[in-house]
Amino acid sequence: MANPHTTPATATPPAAGHDTHGGHGVIGHVDSPGLLFVVFLVVIGLFAANVAMSTSGALGKYTLFAQLAIGAVQATFVGLYFMHLRHGDKVVVLTALASVFWMGILFVLFMSDYMTRNRVMG
Amino acid sequence: MSASTHSPVLKHHFGDLGQQHASERLGMWMFLATEVLFFAGLFGAYACYRLWYASEFEFASAFMNLKIASINTVLLVTSSLTMTLAIRAAKLGNKSGLYTHLLLTFALGTGFMVLKGFEYAHDFHESYLPGEGTFVHSNMQTEAVARGLDTGKVRLFLCFYYIMTGIHGIHIVIGLGCILWLVQQAYANKIPPENYSTVEVVSLYWHLVDAIWLFLMPLLYLAGAHLKVGPH
Repeated sequence: MANPHTTPATATPPAAGHDTHGGHGVIGHVDSPGLLFVVFLVVIGLFAANVAMSTSGALGKYTLFAQLAIGAVQATFVGLYFMHLRHGDKVVVLTALASVFWMGILFVLFMSDYMTRNRVMG
Repeated sequence: MSASTHSPVLKHHFGDLGQQHASERLGMWMFLATEVLFFAGLFGAYACYRLWYASEFEFASAFMNLKIASINTVLLVTSSLTMTLAIRAAKLGNKSGLYTHLLLTFALGTGFMVLKGFEYAHDFHESYLPGEGTFVHSNMQTEAVARGLDTGKVRLFLCFYYIMTGIHGIHIVIGLGCILWLVQQAYANKIPPENYSTVEVVSLYWHLVDAIWLFLMPLLYLAGAHLKVGPH
Protein backbone atom coordinates (compact mmCIF):
# COMPACT_ATOMS: atom_id res chain seq x y z
CA MET A 1 0.00 0.00 0.00
CA ALA A 2 1.49 3.30 -1.05
CA ASN A 3 1.98 6.02 1.54
CA PRO A 4 -0.79 8.63 0.97
CA HIS A 5 1.58 11.44 2.01
CA THR A 6 4.09 10.86 -0.76
CA THR A 7 3.66 11.42 -4.46
CA PRO A 8 4.13 8.34 -6.62
CA ALA A 9 6.67 9.00 -9.35
CA THR A 10 8.43 7.19 -12.11
CA ALA A 11 12.13 6.30 -11.97
CA THR A 12 12.82 7.98 -15.31
CA PRO A 13 15.94 10.19 -15.05
CA PRO A 14 14.93 13.86 -15.46
CA ALA A 15 16.69 16.66 -17.28
CA ALA A 16 19.27 18.65 -15.32
CA GLY A 17 17.95 21.49 -13.17
CA HIS A 18 14.40 20.10 -13.01
CA ASP A 19 12.25 18.42 -10.39
CA THR A 20 10.29 15.26 -10.91
CA HIS A 21 7.00 15.22 -9.06
CA GLY A 22 8.00 17.49 -6.19
CA GLY A 23 10.18 16.97 -3.12
CA HIS A 24 9.09 13.38 -2.53
CA GLY A 25 9.62 12.30 -6.14
CA VAL A 26 11.75 9.22 -6.74
CA ILE A 27 14.56 11.15 -8.41
CA GLY A 28 13.90 14.67 -7.14
CA HIS A 29 15.91 17.68 -8.23
CA VAL A 30 18.95 17.15 -10.46
CA ASP A 31 21.66 19.78 -10.03
CA SER A 32 23.15 21.65 -12.93
CA PRO A 33 26.96 21.07 -12.98
CA GLY A 34 27.47 24.77 -13.78
CA LEU A 35 25.67 25.86 -10.62
CA LEU A 36 27.61 23.37 -8.49
CA PHE A 37 30.88 24.64 -9.95
CA VAL A 38 29.91 28.26 -9.19
CA VAL A 39 29.15 27.27 -5.57
CA PHE A 40 32.52 25.49 -5.41
CA LEU A 41 34.28 28.65 -6.65
CA VAL A 42 32.41 30.81 -4.12
CA VAL A 43 33.45 28.54 -1.21
CA ILE A 44 37.09 28.46 -2.40
CA GLY A 45 37.02 32.25 -2.98
CA LEU A 46 35.73 32.84 0.56
CA PHE A 47 38.51 30.62 1.87
CA ALA A 48 41.11 32.69 -0.01
CA ALA A 49 39.53 35.88 1.38
CA ASN A 50 39.69 34.39 4.89
CA VAL A 51 43.40 33.59 4.54
CA ALA A 52 44.18 37.06 3.12
CA MET A 53 42.19 38.84 5.84
CA SER A 54 43.73 36.73 8.64
CA THR A 55 47.29 37.10 7.35
CA SER A 56 47.03 40.88 7.04
CA GLY A 57 45.57 41.25 10.54
CA ALA A 58 43.73 44.33 9.27
CA LEU A 59 40.64 43.72 11.39
CA GLY A 60 42.57 43.47 14.66
CA LYS A 61 40.42 42.14 17.52
CA TYR A 62 37.50 41.57 15.13
CA THR A 63 39.47 39.04 13.07
CA LEU A 64 38.10 36.00 14.93
CA PHE A 65 34.49 37.10 14.40
CA ALA A 66 35.15 37.83 10.72
CA GLN A 67 36.79 34.40 10.31
CA LEU A 68 33.81 32.63 11.88
CA ALA A 69 31.36 34.72 9.82
CA ILE A 70 33.14 33.67 6.62
CA GLY A 71 33.10 30.05 7.83
CA ALA A 72 29.36 30.32 8.50
CA VAL A 73 28.69 31.68 4.99
CA GLN A 74 30.79 28.87 3.49
CA ALA A 75 28.92 26.25 5.54
CA THR A 76 25.60 27.79 4.46
CA PHE A 77 26.56 27.41 0.80
CA VAL A 78 27.62 23.80 1.42
CA GLY A 79 24.34 23.12 3.25
CA LEU A 80 22.05 24.77 0.71
CA TYR A 81 23.64 23.50 -2.49
CA PHE A 82 25.81 20.44 -1.78
CA MET A 83 23.54 19.04 0.96
CA HIS A 84 20.42 20.08 -0.98
CA LEU A 85 18.75 21.89 1.91
CA ARG A 86 17.19 24.36 -0.53
CA HIS A 87 15.18 21.48 -2.00
CA GLY A 88 14.86 19.60 1.30
CA ASP A 89 11.66 18.41 2.94
CA LYS A 90 10.39 20.74 5.67
CA VAL A 91 11.17 18.20 8.37
CA VAL A 92 14.77 17.90 7.11
CA VAL A 93 15.24 21.69 7.11
CA LEU A 94 13.71 21.80 10.59
CA THR A 95 16.16 19.13 11.80
CA ALA A 96 19.12 21.10 10.40
CA LEU A 97 17.91 24.34 11.96
CA ALA A 98 17.19 22.58 15.27
CA SER A 99 20.81 21.40 15.49
CA VAL A 100 22.03 24.99 15.00
CA PHE A 101 19.47 26.27 17.52
CA TRP A 102 20.55 23.76 20.20
CA MET A 103 24.18 24.61 19.51
CA GLY A 104 23.25 28.25 20.11
CA ILE A 105 21.70 27.38 23.47
CA LEU A 106 24.85 25.45 24.39
CA PHE A 107 27.10 28.39 23.52
CA VAL A 108 24.99 31.09 25.18
CA LEU A 109 24.61 29.21 28.46
CA PHE A 110 28.18 28.14 29.06
CA MET A 111 29.77 31.30 27.63
CA SER A 112 27.60 33.40 29.91
CA ASP A 113 29.19 31.48 32.78
CA TYR A 114 32.83 31.31 31.64
CA MET A 115 32.98 34.88 30.33
CA THR A 116 31.61 36.46 33.49
CA ARG A 117 33.52 34.50 36.16
CA ASN A 118 36.22 37.13 36.62
CA ARG A 119 33.88 40.10 36.49
CA VAL A 120 33.81 42.15 39.69
CA MET A 121 30.25 43.23 40.50
CA GLY A 122 29.21 46.38 42.35
CA MET B 1 0.45 0.83 -9.15
CA SER B 2 3.48 2.90 -10.10
CA ALA B 3 7.14 2.04 -10.55
CA SER B 4 7.85 3.56 -7.14
CA THR B 5 5.86 0.80 -5.40
CA HIS B 6 7.28 -2.07 -7.48
CA SER B 7 11.00 -1.28 -7.51
CA PRO B 8 13.42 -4.02 -6.40
CA VAL B 9 15.21 -1.45 -4.21
CA LEU B 10 12.02 -0.71 -2.24
CA LYS B 11 12.34 -2.08 1.28
CA HIS B 12 9.30 -3.98 2.51
CA HIS B 13 8.44 -1.64 5.39
CA PHE B 14 8.06 1.43 3.15
CA GLY B 15 4.95 2.24 1.13
CA ASP B 16 6.86 3.62 -1.85
CA LEU B 17 10.29 4.89 -2.87
CA GLY B 18 9.43 8.52 -2.11
CA GLN B 19 8.72 7.61 1.50
CA GLN B 20 11.85 5.44 1.65
CA HIS B 21 14.12 8.23 0.36
CA ALA B 22 12.55 10.83 2.68
CA SER B 23 13.05 8.51 5.67
CA GLU B 24 16.68 7.79 4.77
CA ARG B 25 17.43 11.50 4.40
CA LEU B 26 15.70 12.39 7.66
CA GLY B 27 17.50 9.58 9.53
CA MET B 28 20.89 10.81 8.31
CA TRP B 29 20.04 14.43 9.15
CA MET B 30 19.07 13.42 12.69
CA PHE B 31 22.44 11.69 13.04
CA LEU B 32 24.16 14.80 11.64
CA ALA B 33 22.36 16.92 14.26
CA THR B 34 24.03 14.81 16.97
CA GLU B 35 27.36 15.28 15.20
CA VAL B 36 26.86 19.07 15.14
CA LEU B 37 26.24 19.03 18.90
CA PHE B 38 29.24 16.74 19.46
CA PHE B 39 31.58 19.13 17.64
CA ALA B 40 29.81 22.12 19.25
CA GLY B 41 31.15 20.93 22.61
CA LEU B 42 34.69 20.95 21.23
CA PHE B 43 34.25 24.33 19.53
CA GLY B 44 32.73 25.73 22.73
CA ALA B 45 35.65 24.56 24.87
CA TYR B 46 38.08 26.00 22.31
CA ALA B 47 36.20 29.33 22.18
CA CYS B 48 36.28 29.66 25.94
CA TYR B 49 40.04 29.12 26.26
CA ARG B 50 40.77 31.14 23.12
CA LEU B 51 39.03 34.14 24.71
CA TRP B 52 40.79 33.56 28.04
CA TYR B 53 44.27 32.89 26.64
CA ALA B 54 44.15 34.77 23.33
CA SER B 55 47.88 35.63 23.19
CA GLU B 56 49.08 32.05 23.79
CA PHE B 57 46.54 30.51 21.38
CA GLU B 58 47.39 32.97 18.58
CA PHE B 59 51.11 32.45 19.20
CA ALA B 60 50.86 28.63 19.02
CA SER B 61 48.60 28.80 15.96
CA ALA B 62 51.33 30.70 14.09
CA PHE B 63 53.49 27.54 14.24
CA MET B 64 50.88 25.35 12.55
CA ASN B 65 51.48 24.44 8.90
CA LEU B 66 49.22 26.87 7.00
CA LYS B 67 50.43 25.67 3.60
CA ILE B 68 49.36 22.04 4.13
CA ALA B 69 46.10 23.13 5.79
CA SER B 70 45.29 25.37 2.80
CA ILE B 71 45.93 22.58 0.30
CA ASN B 72 43.80 20.27 2.46
CA THR B 73 40.96 22.81 2.43
CA VAL B 74 41.00 22.88 -1.37
CA LEU B 75 41.11 19.06 -1.49
CA LEU B 76 38.15 18.73 0.87
CA VAL B 77 35.95 21.36 -0.83
CA THR B 78 36.75 19.80 -4.22
CA SER B 79 35.79 16.38 -2.84
CA SER B 80 32.42 17.86 -1.80
CA LEU B 81 31.91 19.01 -5.39
CA THR B 82 32.78 15.58 -6.83
CA MET B 83 30.52 13.88 -4.26
CA THR B 84 27.59 16.07 -5.32
CA LEU B 85 28.37 15.29 -8.96
CA ALA B 86 28.29 11.59 -8.00
CA ILE B 87 24.69 12.01 -6.75
CA ARG B 88 23.83 13.74 -10.01
CA ALA B 89 25.34 10.86 -12.00
CA ALA B 90 23.42 8.34 -9.86
CA LYS B 91 20.13 10.18 -10.50
CA LEU B 92 20.80 10.28 -14.24
CA GLY B 93 21.71 6.58 -14.34
CA ASN B 94 25.24 7.46 -15.50
CA LYS B 95 27.16 4.51 -14.02
CA SER B 96 30.60 5.50 -15.30
CA GLY B 97 30.07 9.07 -14.04
CA LEU B 98 29.01 7.75 -10.64
CA TYR B 99 32.01 5.46 -10.50
CA THR B 100 34.45 8.18 -11.59
CA HIS B 101 33.17 10.82 -9.17
CA LEU B 102 33.12 8.41 -6.24
CA LEU B 103 36.72 7.38 -6.96
CA LEU B 104 37.72 11.04 -7.34
CA THR B 105 36.11 11.83 -3.99
CA PHE B 106 37.93 8.89 -2.41
CA ALA B 107 41.25 10.03 -3.91
CA LEU B 108 40.78 13.61 -2.69
CA GLY B 109 39.83 12.43 0.80
CA THR B 110 42.82 10.09 0.88
CA GLY B 111 45.04 12.98 -0.25
CA PHE B 112 43.73 14.99 2.70
CA MET B 113 44.68 12.26 5.16
CA VAL B 114 48.10 11.68 3.57
CA LEU B 115 48.92 15.39 3.86
CA LYS B 116 47.59 15.37 7.42
CA GLY B 117 50.01 12.50 8.12
CA PHE B 118 52.94 14.57 6.77
CA GLU B 119 51.77 17.50 8.87
CA TYR B 120 51.62 15.41 12.06
CA ALA B 121 55.06 13.94 11.26
CA HIS B 122 56.48 17.47 10.94
CA ASP B 123 54.81 18.53 14.20
CA PHE B 124 56.23 15.48 15.99
CA HIS B 125 59.68 16.17 14.55
CA GLU B 126 59.56 19.77 15.80
CA SER B 127 58.29 18.59 19.23
CA TYR B 128 55.04 20.56 18.87
CA LEU B 129 53.45 18.22 21.38
CA PRO B 130 51.33 19.02 24.45
CA GLY B 131 53.45 16.90 26.81
CA GLU B 132 55.83 19.09 28.82
CA GLY B 133 58.73 16.61 28.56
CA THR B 134 58.90 16.82 24.76
CA PHE B 135 57.66 20.40 24.33
CA VAL B 136 60.69 21.83 26.18
CA HIS B 137 62.85 20.78 23.20
CA SER B 138 60.81 22.79 20.67
CA ASN B 139 61.54 26.23 19.23
CA MET B 140 57.93 27.07 20.15
CA GLN B 141 58.88 26.75 23.84
CA THR B 142 61.97 28.95 23.39
CA GLU B 143 60.04 31.70 21.60
CA ALA B 144 57.13 31.53 24.04
CA VAL B 145 59.47 32.05 26.99
CA ALA B 146 61.22 34.91 25.18
CA ARG B 147 57.86 36.61 24.69
CA GLY B 148 56.85 36.09 28.29
CA LEU B 149 53.97 33.75 27.42
CA ASP B 150 52.69 30.94 29.67
CA THR B 151 53.94 27.73 28.03
CA GLY B 152 51.23 25.71 29.79
CA LYS B 153 48.58 27.70 27.92
CA VAL B 154 50.52 27.28 24.66
CA ARG B 155 50.49 23.50 25.23
CA LEU B 156 46.75 23.70 25.91
CA PHE B 157 46.31 24.97 22.34
CA LEU B 158 48.24 21.93 21.12
CA CYS B 159 45.82 19.69 23.07
CA PHE B 160 42.92 21.27 21.17
CA TYR B 161 44.83 21.03 17.90
CA TYR B 162 45.42 17.28 18.20
CA ILE B 163 41.99 16.42 19.63
CA MET B 164 40.01 18.47 17.09
CA THR B 165 42.02 17.52 14.00
CA GLY B 166 42.27 13.93 15.25
CA ILE B 167 38.52 13.51 15.70
CA HIS B 168 37.93 15.22 12.36
CA GLY B 169 40.46 12.84 10.77
CA ILE B 170 38.64 9.82 12.24
CA HIS B 171 35.45 11.14 10.61
CA ILE B 172 37.27 11.45 7.29
CA VAL B 173 38.49 7.83 7.53
CA ILE B 174 34.93 6.62 8.29
CA GLY B 175 33.67 8.65 5.30
CA LEU B 176 36.34 7.10 3.07
CA GLY B 177 35.19 3.64 4.17
CA CYS B 178 31.58 4.53 3.28
CA ILE B 179 32.67 5.85 -0.13
CA LEU B 180 34.59 2.63 -0.82
CA TRP B 181 31.43 0.70 0.03
CA LEU B 182 29.51 2.91 -2.46
CA VAL B 183 32.13 2.13 -5.12
CA GLN B 184 31.59 -1.59 -4.51
CA GLN B 185 27.80 -1.11 -4.67
CA ALA B 186 28.11 0.84 -7.93
CA TYR B 187 30.40 -1.84 -9.37
CA ALA B 188 27.80 -4.49 -8.45
CA ASN B 189 25.07 -2.48 -10.23
CA LYS B 190 23.21 -1.95 -6.95
CA ILE B 191 22.77 1.80 -7.39
CA PRO B 192 20.14 2.30 -10.09
CA PRO B 193 18.65 5.85 -10.42
CA GLU B 194 15.79 5.07 -8.00
CA ASN B 195 18.36 4.09 -5.36
CA TYR B 196 20.36 7.36 -5.57
CA SER B 197 19.57 8.11 -1.93
CA THR B 198 22.21 5.55 -0.91
CA VAL B 199 24.80 7.92 -2.39
CA GLU B 200 23.00 10.95 -0.98
CA VAL B 201 23.08 9.85 2.67
CA VAL B 202 26.82 9.16 2.50
CA SER B 203 27.32 12.52 0.77
CA LEU B 204 25.44 14.31 3.57
CA TYR B 205 27.93 12.90 6.09
CA TRP B 206 30.86 13.81 3.85
CA HIS B 207 29.64 17.41 3.40
CA LEU B 208 29.21 17.84 7.16
CA VAL B 209 32.80 16.72 7.71
CA ASP B 210 33.79 19.27 5.05
CA ALA B 211 31.73 22.02 6.73
CA ILE B 212 33.33 21.28 10.11
CA TRP B 213 36.79 21.68 8.53
CA LEU B 214 35.74 25.12 7.25
CA PHE B 215 35.55 26.16 10.93
CA LEU B 216 38.59 24.19 12.15
CA MET B 217 40.79 25.84 9.54
CA PRO B 218 40.44 29.46 10.77
CA LEU B 219 40.35 28.49 14.46
CA LEU B 220 43.50 26.36 14.42
CA TYR B 221 45.58 27.60 11.48
CA LEU B 222 44.57 31.24 10.90
CA ALA B 223 44.35 32.43 14.52
CA GLY B 224 48.00 33.54 14.50
CA ALA B 225 48.50 34.02 10.77
CA HIS B 226 49.17 37.75 11.30
CA LEU B 227 52.03 37.12 13.77
CA LYS B 228 55.63 37.17 12.56
CA VAL B 229 56.70 34.07 14.48
CA GLY B 230 57.07 30.38 13.78
CA PRO B 231 57.95 28.85 10.41
CA HIS B 232 56.35 31.64 8.29
